[in-house]
Amino acid sequence: MNLLPSDNRDRNKPPLTDSATITSVRDIRQSVCYSESPFLRECHMIHVQKLTKRYSPTKLAVDELSFSVTSGEVYGLLGPNGAGKTTTLRMLLGLLPPTSGDARIEEHSIMNAPVEIKRRIGLVSASAGLYQWLTPREVLEYFGWGYGLKPDVIRRRTKELTDVMQIGDYLDQRCATLSTGQTQRVNLARALIHDPPVVLLDEPTRGLDVLGAQVIFDYAARLRQDGKAIIVCTHKLEEAERLCDRFGLLHRGRLQQEGTIEELRAATGEESLVEMFLKMIGPVKTEERIA
Amino acid sequence: MTQTAEKPCRESDSVSRQIFHLTRKELRETLRDRRTIITLLAMPLLLYPLLGLGFRYMAVLNARAETPHVRLAFESEDEALWVKHVLETTDALRESSEIDDITDARLEFDFLVAEDGMTLPESLAGGYAELGIRISMTEPITRTGPRGRSVELIQVAGSSISQRASDEMERRLAAINVITLSDIVKDTYPEFNLPVTRKIETVEPVGKTSAILGLLPLVLLLMTVTGGVYPAIDLTAGERERNTLETLMALPVPHIRLLFAKYFAVITVTMLTGLMNLLAMSVTVYSLQLEGTLFGENGLTGLVLLKLFLVLVAFAIFFSAALLALTSSARSFKEAQAYLIPLLLLAIAPGFVILLPDWELTRMTAIVPIINVLMLARDLFQGTASPLLALAAVGTTLLYSSLFLFIAARIFGADAMLIGSRGQWRDLIDRPTEFARTPTAAAAGCLLACLFPVYFVSSGFLQRMADASIAQRLTASALLTIALFVGIPLLFAIWRRLRVLSTFRIANPASSVWPGVILLGLATWPCIFELVVLVESTGLQKLTEQNMDRIQALLDAWRQVPIWVVVVALGIVPGVCEEFFFRGFLFSGLRSRTNGLLTVLGTAITFGLFHVVLAGGAAPERLIPSTLMGLLLGWVSLRTGSMVTTAIMHGIHNSTLLIMAHKRDELANWTVTAAEQSHLPTTWIIASAIGIVVGVSWIWLTTRKSPT
Repeated sequence: MNLLPSDNRDRNKPPLTDSATITSVRDIRQSVCYSESPFLRECHMIHVQKLTKRYSPTKLAVDELSFSVTSGEVYGLLGPNGAGKTTTLRMLLGLLPPTSGDARIEEHSIMNAPVEIKRRIGLVSASAGLYQWLTPREVLEYFGWGYGLKPDVIRRRTKELTDVMQIGDYLDQRCATLSTGQTQRVNLARALIHDPPVVLLDEPTRGLDVLGAQVIFDYAARLRQDGKAIIVCTHKLEEAERLCDRFGLLHRGRLQQEGTIEELRAATGEESLVEMFLKMIGPVKTEERIA
Repeated sequence: MTQTAEKPCRESDSVSRQIFHLTRKELRETLRDRRTIITLLAMPLLLYPLLGLGFRYMAVLNARAETPHVRLAFESEDEALWVKHVLETTDALRESSEIDDITDARLEFDFLVAEDGMTLPESLAGGYAELGIRISMTEPITRTGPRGRSVELIQVAGSSISQRASDEMERRLAAINVITLSDIVKDTYPEFNLPVTRKIETVEPVGKTSAILGLLPLVLLLMTVTGGVYPAIDLTAGERERNTLETLMALPVPHIRLLFAKYFAVITVTMLTGLMNLLAMSVTVYSLQLEGTLFGENGLTGLVLLKLFLVLVAFAIFFSAALLALTSSARSFKEAQAYLIPLLLLAIAPGFVILLPDWELTRMTAIVPIINVLMLARDLFQGTASPLLALAAVGTTLLYSSLFLFIAARIFGADAMLIGSRGQWRDLIDRPTEFARTPTAAAAGCLLACLFPVYFVSSGFLQRMADASIAQRLTASALLTIALFVGIPLLFAIWRRLRVLSTFRIANPASSVWPGVILLGLATWPCIFELVVLVESTGLQKLTEQNMDRIQALLDAWRQVPIWVVVVALGIVPGVCEEFFFRGFLFSGLRSRTNGLLTVLGTAITFGLFHVVLAGGAAPERLIPSTLMGLLLGWVSLRTGSMVTTAIMHGIHNSTLLIMAHKRDELANWTVTAAEQSHLPTTWIIASAIGIVVGVSWIWLTTRKSPT
């Protein structure tokens, strides 16, 4: 079992997993993909390499961040407020140009194929709103057209997602009338209308009750089974523990630790993610701590 | 297991359909909003009937003003009866053509007798009557007998109707005198006729329509714009406010395509509003029978309505793009509304220009945004629109729209808008906590916006110093230039915590560039001078005799001071100081946002515009030569990576020109300035052109390996 060194210099070389810890098909796939074979490296759905974002000479949001996510893997990008999680997601999506470094989704680079990248990503953000005067069906239809889908595909995907996300009861109701949980379900459906191989979940359960959060967990599990590569950004560490296969602990734009929960426990000597975080961040002001 | 996203449609057949569906969503969203519907339907339905009633009321007042009732005040009833008799007599004489038809038949008189204790002046001053008449009565009037009467007319000072009534009364009394004398003469000489007879005929001028008509295009166009305001805000700033922008930008659709969809939606709503306004206006005009009053004898025809609709289309295309360009940078409804208020004021101000009698749609005004469309609409109402100018107005409007749309596409969804802490207008006001190497483009634009009016006003102040000595004027000019182009930018840089050297691009260039820089400084002025003469000869701006005298007086005045004083005050100081701002501050600000080409272009155009403003007036003939000079300076600055080179070059250029002007008489003696004073000798122009080519080549070659 390996952990990334704290100076993050060797991030491009994913840690080899101890064969004794392999317990599922997913783990096997993961371990295979971490080998150095160029052919097998293609299993990395997301490959981030020395990604850096500097807003100003003194404001470094993301500092040479490198990690990889394979198909069927849920990667938790965790960190306190201002750690650089959202900036990373925005760079992956092509919404922000990186200052340096690169990231690849399948074989496409965010530097020269932004449209192809966007086609392959579904973004679910807790802060994302819906068009108040449209119905969920119209929202799905709109985003379907936005992703360039054919009408019959839009119809089929709308039906599938309606069934899975259980939004049929309010599919033709104005979005302004939906509750927070209903809005979040529609948002999830919207992000998946084009059936993307990569899903970015930014605080997916914020504002949801237990049942609402459970829907997200269930669907994330299903997405994993479907072979999607998923990145989850959250500061709800208990949820992250339930949801994610591997974790990247981000602090002040740098990846401090990376690995499975067992690997992190071994590396930090702490039991829970919360304790690991507090140890990683050190004595800081209360407001800097994760919620 | 799905590993790839659903396959999109083929690009060729999906783009148009995609734009159609994206637009449909925008329209759905907008048209379902009751606020849009209120602007679209309720406002025209309410406004035009109200305006129509107002117009009708004004028309009635107008008609009343044409046949006003004049109240005549008398001290006694007898005097009133006498005047009434005079009026009846003169009416009868006019009808029988015995007197000239010069009386004002539209005046109607009421007769009032002042109450006891109130004098005629008091009655008039109290507003009870328009004209007081006092008559010394001795005998009753007869047709033939010359009887002495003394008639005193008392007017209300400053009242046009009182003056009109007094004039009328004078004419009628004069007619009584003439006819009485004529009758007496005819008794002796029956064949006698008055030597001169007069008749006054009034005609309506061609193209004259109701004054209210001038306002109609403005009302119509403003109402049309109103329809686009809410959708433009909702579809751009609204995306940010309801947090849908990020997911929208995550779509694999080019920004311009997303913006096109929004643009089509805004145009559609604007056009619907325009159509609704046109309809409401037509129905109102028809139902209140105002066609004749407003549109003359032809009334409001279908053809006029069609033409107006086409003008509204052009206007909607222009304003929708302008609205989107403004609202695209706003992050909330409130912010967008704050941006739009100046735009609407800008739209209203030219609206009043078209009411001025001397403003016509010409080749010049046809390219001025907003004014051209307003004038075209006015001309269409009046039926005097020229097809060629109409085409020019519509064509330029479409061009401006494209420019606005391009700007909107650049701004909409830009990364700065997605990050709350950056790119805010507030950043321009709050003093930064950290030092920066260069200003932002927004900060440079902000300073430019402040500097231009200050420069404009200061130029006017210099003109007021005409009575001061030449030394005082030169000193004031130099100090003002330093304060404007160095002082203000420097203070701004200190306040914004900008590094002075990098902000003003003060750097030591490679020593190899200097020969090229000096050569360009010496060689450019003949070409620039000829360009000014050339532009003048096109008729854009002719030097008047008065201006020529002024220039001559100025040149003579320069002779009173040593040449070096003139060179320093008007050559070196402006050259260096202007470069400090244009190729220094503004250049680094624009460069932080855009590429070298656009930076050079932007600074050159601004440089050209500043040179149009002269003390006490404008010199449009300087725009093109100064802009070209700005392009050259910008290019040199870009290549050498410094404003020091261009400051030297600019200073040499100005100084050479001034020395030549100072020594022009000596040059004339050598016949180098030729008989035709306005042009330089051809050899000079050729030498200048060669110098420019060599200078440019030199700089290009010496900076080739290390372009900045």
